[in-house]
Amino acid sequence: MIKVRIPTPLRSLTKNQGEVDVTADSITDLVNTLEASYPGIKARLCDGSGELRRFVNIYVNEEDIRFLKGKDTTLKSGDEVSIVPAIAGG
Amino acid sequence: MKDLVIPQAILNDMIAHARELAPHECCGLLAGNNGVVSRMYRIANIVAIEGAQNLSSFDSAKIAHLERLSPAERAEIAFVMDMQDFSTAKKDMRNHGLDLQIVYHSHPHDPARPSITDIKIATDYEEIWPKINLPIPSYLLISLMHTTPDIKNYWIKSGQVSNASFIVR
Ligand SMILES: [Zn+2]
Repeated sequence: MIKVRIPTPLRSLTKNQGEVDVTADSITDLVNTLEASYPGIKARLCDGSGELRRFVNIYVNEEDIRFLKGKDTTLKSGDEVSIVPAIAGG
Repeated sequence: MKDLVIPQAILNDMIAHARELAPHECCGLLAGNNGVVSRMYRIANIVAIEGAQNLSSFDSAKIAHLERLSPAERAEIAFVMDMQDFSTAKKDMRNHGLDLQIVYHSHPHDPARPSITDIKIATDYEEIWPKINLPIPSYLLISLMHTTPDIKNYWIKSGQVSNASFIVR
């Protein structure tokens, strides 16, 4: 089981849950698994070719997946995944 | 808390960044050690990218406002950091043993005060910083509404804004 932290802007898709548990063996698999339970979430995270959008980041156990293997980063049970929205303001 | 020290050269570079991007908002990071800033990272403002406003914690009024504007105009009233740039900066900080100290952005048309949107997003972000292994930064605003840029720095915690003074030298 992998614990996924959902940021505030995406909680409208996860029935207001800030954390969800999923079973997945890679980031791509995790995104697809989330999409099956929470339709619409994938498009917020990935572009048409499945690459992570520039205004979002994903951390696995506090390490940035951009410095691991990106969407191919492997996951194992017990990992903690944080979806991090871009720093923004007005 | 001790005043943060920002070298004059870095302050000048931040002002230059704000002026280069005006009338769009610029954004970036300052890092250093022991309260002394030693490095600045310019981060691209990607608010104009399709979908960017939906993944930020913009309030619904701000999203409605942004959606009435053309993508080019959106950058005049908002910023969204390019997380690719952010990751590169974060890695550089780690490689050089630097701590994140300040998140800066410009207000081309408004005073150097956090907007309601700035306060809301900074408050939402408070719980994120520790999860990505970074200390909670202060927020520096560069206002270009008058000929002389006005620069102020703030702590934003639990929706409360307080002055975070700094020394330039
Ligand atoms: Zn602002």
